[in-house]
Amino acid sequence: MDPECSRLLPALCAVLVDPRQPVADDTCLEKLLDWFKTVTEAGPSLLLLQENPCLVELLFRVLKAHDPHPRVLSFSLRLAGLFAAQEDCFQYLQQGELLPMLFGEAGPLGGAAWTAPTVRSGWLQGLRSLAQHPSALLFLADCGAVDTIFSLQGDSSLFVASAAGQLLVHILALAMQSPAEGHPSPQGCDWPACAQKIVCHVEDSLHSTATPQVTQALNVLTTTFGHCHGPWTQGLWVRLSPLVACLLEKDPIPASHSLMDLLLSVARSPVGSSDCGLWETLAQTLSHLSPIQAGPLALGILKLQDCPQALKTQAFGVLLQPLACVLKAAAQSPGPPGFPEGATGDSMTVDTFLSSKSACVGLLCQALAHLELLQLLPQRPSPWPQAPLLRAAVAILRFCNGSAAPTSDVGGHLCAVLAGCVRVQRAALDFLGTLSQGTGPQELVTQVFAVLLEYLTSPDSSPTVLKKAFQATLRWLLGSPKAPSCCDLDPHTQLFLRELLPVLRKRLCSPCWEARDSGLEFLTQVTRHWGGQAAFRHALLASEVPELTRQLLRDPESYVRASAVTATGQLSSWGLYTTPTSPEHPEVQQESLFTELLHILSTDSEGFPRRAVMQVFTQWLKDGHADVAEDLEQFVARVLQVASRDLDWEVRAQGLELALVFLEQLLGHPGSRCPYAVALPEAAAPATLAQVLQALCRVQLFEFALRALFDCDRPVAQKSCDLLLFLRAKATPCGGPQEAGASPDVVSVEAALQRWQAGEQGQPLGELEPEAVMAVLRSMDLEGLRGTLAKSSDHIEKSPQSLLQDLLASVGVLGENEADCY
Amino acid sequence: MPEIRVTPLGAGQDVGRSCILVSIGGKNVMLDCGMHMGFSDDRRFPDFSYITRNGRLTDFLDCVIISHFHLDHCGALPYFSEMVGYDGPIYMTQPTQAICPILLEDYRKIAVDKKGEANFFTSQMIKDCMKKVVAVHLHQTVQVDDELEIKAYYAGHVLGAAMFQIKVGSESVVYTGDYNMTPDRHLGAAWIDKCRPNLLITESTYATTIRDSKRCRERDFLKKVHETVERGGKVLIPVFALGRAQELCILLETFWERMDLKAPIYFSTGLTEKANHYYKLFIPWTNQKIRKTFVQRNMFEFKHIKAFDRAFADSPGPMVVFATPGMLHAGQSLQIFRKWAGSERNMVIMPGYCVQGTVGHKILSGQRKLEMEGRQVLEVKMQVEYMSFSAHADAKGIMQLVGQAEPENVLLVHGEAKKMEFLKQKIEQEFRVSCYMPANGETVTLSTSPSIPVGISLGLLKREMAQGLLPDAKKPRLLHGTLIMKDSNFRLVSSEQALKELGLSEHQLRFTCRVHLHDTRKEQETALRVYSHLKSVLKDHCVQHLPDGSVTVESILIQAAAHSEDPSTKVLLVSWTYQDEELGSYLTSLLKKGLPQAS
Repeated sequence: MDPECSRLLPALCAVLVDPRQPVADDTCLEKLLDWFKTVTEAGPSLLLLQENPCLVELLFRVLKAHDPHPRVLSFSLRLAGLFAAQEDCFQYLQQGELLPMLFGEAGPLGGAAWTAPTVRSGWLQGLRSLAQHPSALLFLADCGAVDTIFSLQGDSSLFVASAAGQLLVHILALAMQSPAEGHPSPQGCDWPACAQKIVCHVEDSLHSTATPQVTQALNVLTTTFGHCHGPWTQGLWVRLSPLVACLLEKDPIPASHSLMDLLLSVARSPVGSSDCGLWETLAQTLSHLSPIQAGPLALGILKLQDCPQALKTQAFGVLLQPLACVLKAAAQSPGPPGFPEGATGDSMTVDTFLSSKSACVGLLCQALAHLELLQLLPQRPSPWPQAPLLRAAVAILRFCNGSAAPTSDVGGHLCAVLAGCVRVQRAALDFLGTLSQGTGPQELVTQVFAVLLEYLTSPDSSPTVLKKAFQATLRWLLGSPKAPSCCDLDPHTQLFLRELLPVLRKRLCSPCWEARDSGLEFLTQVTRHWGGQAAFRHALLASEVPELTRQLLRDPESYVRASAVTATGQLSSWGLYTTPTSPEHPEVQQESLFTELLHILSTDSEGFPRRAVMQVFTQWLKDGHADVAEDLEQFVARVLQVASRDLDWEVRAQGLELALVFLEQLLGHPGSRCPYAVALPEAAAPATLAQVLQALCRVQLFEFALRALFDCDRPVAQKSCDLLLFLRAKATPCGGPQEAGASPDVVSVEAALQRWQAGEQGQPLGELEPEAVMAVLRSMDLEGLRGTLAKSSDHIEKSPQSLLQDLLASVGVLGENEADCY
Repeated sequence: MPEIRVTPLGAGQDVGRSCILVSIGGKNVMLDCGMHMGFSDDRRFPDFSYITRNGRLTDFLDCVIISHFHLDHCGALPYFSEMVGYDGPIYMTQPTQAICPILLEDYRKIAVDKKGEANFFTSQMIKDCMKKVVAVHLHQTVQVDDELEIKAYYAGHVLGAAMFQIKVGSESVVYTGDYNMTPDRHLGAAWIDKCRPNLLITESTYATTIRDSKRCRERDFLKKVHETVERGGKVLIPVFALGRAQELCILLETFWERMDLKAPIYFSTGLTEKANHYYKLFIPWTNQKIRKTFVQRNMFEFKHIKAFDRAFADSPGPMVVFATPGMLHAGQSLQIFRKWAGSERNMVIMPGYCVQGTVGHKILSGQRKLEMEGRQVLEVKMQVEYMSFSAHADAKGIMQLVGQAEPENVLLVHGEAKKMEFLKQKIEQEFRVSCYMPANGETVTLSTSPSIPVGISLGLLKREMAQGLLPDAKKPRLLHGTLIMKDSNFRLVSSEQALKELGLSEHQLRFTCRVHLHDTRKEQETALRVYSHLKSVLKDHCVQHLPDGSVTVESILIQAAAHSEDPSTKVLLVSWTYQDEELGSYLTSLLKKGLPQAS
């Protein structure tokens, strides 16, 4: 431990036990424990206690205190646990009988403080830390802690109850691994007493008629099979599986969710693979549960790596049931829905659909979400019923927007229940989007696009639904096949695009900012992928979309302005953004997009649009955009000038990013050693270093970077440091310009640096000589600076010394202010 | 029995990060989704894994409601919706919707700036999260779905702060969020109607405090600023962009105007200008005075307060600067502090609490030598002042609100356990309602009486009315009828109508009872004695002696018979209909006492 911390500890311990002093807030004590944890993990705890006797004294004094603050008591319990995690330290504390006093019957357990959940939680956490060695096991048995943990499983606090369950699992595992016990037999007859006790308790709980007790037992077992994979778990399952099977015979099945978790946990563990009965149990459970309960179990089964095919088929059938029902209800004429056998829309599912609106909505949303997850998994069932699933998704969306014309009773019911239901719409659109990964017959794909278009067009679509409709459309568009010639979009897509663009146009004019923004995000993405496709270019240019996008650069909502900036940047990269001419004076060209974006960068009051502009400019520079290539230096100089003055540090950081791209283009890629680096096009012969430096001086990159080195926002300084290091590395080996010595220029740069470091702004540097800048760079300890900057800017305030000082200083000062937090 | 369950994941016996789960009528709602600024790891967010062990969050939670834009109430929202995976609706008022992303963005920038935290929500996530928000107007009933509805009430505290009523069927819960029962310089007082919820969940920050007049604190603040400026010093006021900054700006602006002061006042950031923009935009949410004077003079257009440029900090002479962030933990406010800390003439005023680990916390706790980077020590010679302007209801205000809403139960959150204990007793004594104060993770379960709406047939109602007495809410009356349950509807109709509707024929149910009397006379004579006795006792009833020897009182029939084994005993067979149950019981008990001796 740091000597300074050691010096401060006694005072802190004295403060903590002083009932007259208000206790520091929870966060401070938590941080203090974090620190003790690092200290105890790094070295011997015994030494720590011997060198700092105040710590043990603290524990004693807390115990003796008449009415200790629950926070301090909880802290002390956890602290004692941390120390006692090492066996020698545990023995040391035992000599003073401290541990039984803290964790035994005589401790807080019997006192008034026990009513505070934080004390019970501290007691459990303390034991959790302590239970690391055989001595701890003996201690737990002697002090009767296990019985208390049993009772805490049913605690009124969720946190305490959950911690108690986990602690039981930890103790069980510790007991079973204990080297003193050798290798216990799987049967359990020679298991350590502590483990026997826990298992018996679990057995008793499984026999119980009270559901909470059954749940607790099942949760303990689920965690056990999830975390412990020793051979003894096999024996445990052999012993307990009959009891679990008994639960399944009850009607209704108690704690069904926990029971499913347990069965899946066992199936995933090594135990599962050796127990054939388990698959039978799972199959039996699947058929016993209601459709809404069976869904998660079915998904769990399908996620298993090794599982009998019959069970998988059954599970998949469960997941498909609701959709089969929908298909049946939507069918104009009877016919097979096309799902595998077992998924025919059974009566139980129909009953659920008909029982209530919330049950129907719940079941559908769950089924859609599960199938969406499943579709993304490598072990998804094969063959995947893509076509019927597509049909079902379309049917659900049609029920929701009222465009379905069902003939059956169930269909009519679904129509009434699902009409305008946003929850189902969101789930179905997400699912439909995921289905774009597969293919489908053209007639079905046409239906998909048609229903998506309905949603994009409908004034009833809520903003969240609209966003999802755009996302699903994008996925289907990008997944759609190319025409045989491979160079353009297929005719169906082209047709769809012609219908889509007027809808997009309308959405860009929506009064709702969420709709405009989602529209712009969609446009950006489509353009990014299809900017080169002739059909897309043609359709887009024929629409008013590019013009509207430009207008949205002045949207009142900053999020929309930012998205418009990104979209116009993207359009412009593909030559799809044509500068409009003024209607009155067609000969007068309106300002270029560069000027317009630069104006946003200089004047927009919000950070999002300005940051978007910087991203566009950086991308343009990387891509060699025409507006940039026209006068590269002029472009960089103007952008850096504006970015360097920005109040938003992220804009300044992006300015440095752009400067780095510029440097790379002049000097070659910094990561040329990197195997993934893409070689830059070598359009022109590399300029000489002197020319490069001159250019950097002309665009005032040095002044920007050197000022940024002392920026009050750390990431800016970090970026600048990296940039200058790169420059120095590039310039030095090539035999850069001669040393400039202590020329007047060097002196003035150094003076400016000192002023900036002191936080002063000062005058601009003006014209700089490259030699002077390089001389200054060489003399600077940039590596050292980078090391400092790599630490968080509050690393000193976050240090343990600082924490201890704060705790001591705030005694009696801040107590009353705490509530004024916000 | 239906029940309401409440589990705080945050704000249960603490003032950390509010997040309260409520289950009502089978619906699950999350109230606030706050963040704890005192932590910089996962502990800053509530532990959402406790919401449901089974199934997806979006399926479990019906909605999230955010009471106001402070980060301890909304700071975890993008994390919850974009990283944990909640995809359902989020409700908040319009000003909260507008201002929330600014503060979240501000915090994100500080978090990333300071630690380069990668596992933190991004700008895009904040935007995506805000797209899930549904804005609600005050007093507008919003249907979340067919059964769940919510309604917002004005809460004062900060711009756009609202209390929410959550209602499913006849069960309701009101959540106050943070509120203020006294109007301040720019906001009005909280108000709610007498909605009599089953449960009122109220904040209790100042559970034991009766706050002194805010005017005193304001005078004190102005005096300190004025004195410093007069002696040529500089005043730094670290603030969060929204809330207190606006209040202090109005205060200083008016004071500068009145005293004709010349020293410049600056805002160091564009953030607060934007915030002022929102105050202008949401003028209906401010107090009456601001609304009234808005036409002549907009309180948020400041004449004396100008935008700050970094170079100004080095300018000589007095000035006042508002700078973010509010705890002096990074950025501009810290930079200015470092420049000015060395002079006794200067002053820093902290208008809010600072978490441990910030420079603000250090100087407030009296530390004057601060270790800076590179082993430098910054000696703080400037004056350090703490001024509380926080706008919470005090004990009196909380009691006032409980009185206003008239809840059946009260649950305290957002306060310290000891203070809550005091207030809990006070509420229980004064209002005779149960009061709860669960810790984080503890569940409070309240049983509610199921209330089922029943339609009454017009015919039945008319018949009752015909018997006199108009309906009166204060004097409940008993009404007899037949309850028909059909198609999930309940209707009360007359029994005749019920028979007709259901196509049933009437059956009459009679109660019978035997009363043994010691009487040696013949049965007919006994019957006659019974008749005379009843005739004299029951003057208001129609008592008849029928030719067959039996006696009737209304529908009650009494016959006398000989005892099969004991000739000196007679058996009275009494029978009556359900309608005359009361009279029948009375008669039986009367006869059991025996007949008066014949004179």
